[in-house]
Amino acid sequence: MAEKDHLEEHLEKFVENIRQLGIIVSDFQPSSQAGLNQKLNFIVTGLQDIDKCRQQLHDITVPLEVFEYIDQGRNPQLYTKECLERALAKNEQVKGKIDTMKKFKSLLIQELSKVFPEDMAKYRSIRGEDHPPS
Amino acid sequence: MKITNARHLGSVAEGMMENFTALFGAQADPPPPPTALGFGPGKPPPPPPPPPGGGPGTAPPPTAATAPPGTDKSGAGCGPFYLMRELPGSTELTGSTNLITHYNLEQAYNKFCGKKVKEKLSNFLPDLPGMIDLPGSHDNSSLRSLIEKPPILSSSFNPITGTMLAGFRLHTGPLPEQCRLMHIQPPKKKNKHKHKQSRTQDPVPPGKPS
Repeated sequence: MAEKDHLEEHLEKFVENIRQLGIIVSDFQPSSQAGLNQKLNFIVTGLQDIDKCRQQLHDITVPLEVFEYIDQGRNPQLYTKECLERALAKNEQVKGKIDTMKKFKSLLIQELSKVFPEDMAKYRSIRGEDHPPS
Repeated sequence: MKITNARHLGSVAEGMMENFTALFGAQADPPPPPTALGFGPGKPPPPPPPPPGGGPGTAPPPTAATAPPGTDKSGAGCGPFYLMRELPGSTELTGSTNLITHYNLEQAYNKFCGKKVKEKLSNFLPDLPGMIDLPGSHDNSSLRSLIEKPPILSSSFNPITGTMLAGFRLHTGPLPEQCRLMHIQPPKKKNKHKHKQSRTQDPVPPGKPS
């Protein structure tokens, strides 16, 4: 998305500005004063530019859990990875339950039909209208 | 899925009730009428079921069709089988389908789970200066603190005027050692295949994926 690239560009410029400011300040010379003042005002304009990007990106939502990863110094892509892995595992688990339930149902109907043949025939005819046995 | 209203099975119900009672023996008491349980407008209690072998010619119990309209569908006696209720509607999308494929996430899955994703934040943001792999709690730079205690801001960003800039006249000379941390950066792993891969891709290390 172009707006995201735009924001990224602004952020990179902002960070670079701060970095250069840090270099100036770490060993300050009087001749650097003008440059320092310029960089300080770049901070303000940089923040203005970043703020302007907000409107175009107001519909982007970020899950709070990603922040935990970032705060621990971990790659946020690990969050995505773990989400996908958890989703797949849960998907498999639920599929297993569904398959087991289906098997149980057919087995139950089978066994009940042996013990209560007439009742089960009636049951099947009722259910057969709206729910084909699977 | 077509949902069958079991109530309109009406006259068939009596015959079925016989089978039921035949299996479980003649009941001493009929099931209590709904009013007794406080459910809805009253209806006369069904007469005791006929003895086994009585045949369909004997007085039939009230059919389910005479049940008051407010009767709970899932209640007893709504069909030929006690507690038989309508099946819940089925949805096409269940856990039995591969949802990753369904939502076209295969590529994303292969990208994140197929190969090894690097652990550190600096691998995600290699060009960011400073020691970003440190936990945010160490240097008060955590995102969590930003959410929990957002800084109080004014409505606009105003340039720093000349008078204000006077406050930024610094002393000459190097900073004391403890303030010099920002120049230390984690060692950048040089990407040997940089010219072959796009910038956004992580390099694939040799060895089996996790």
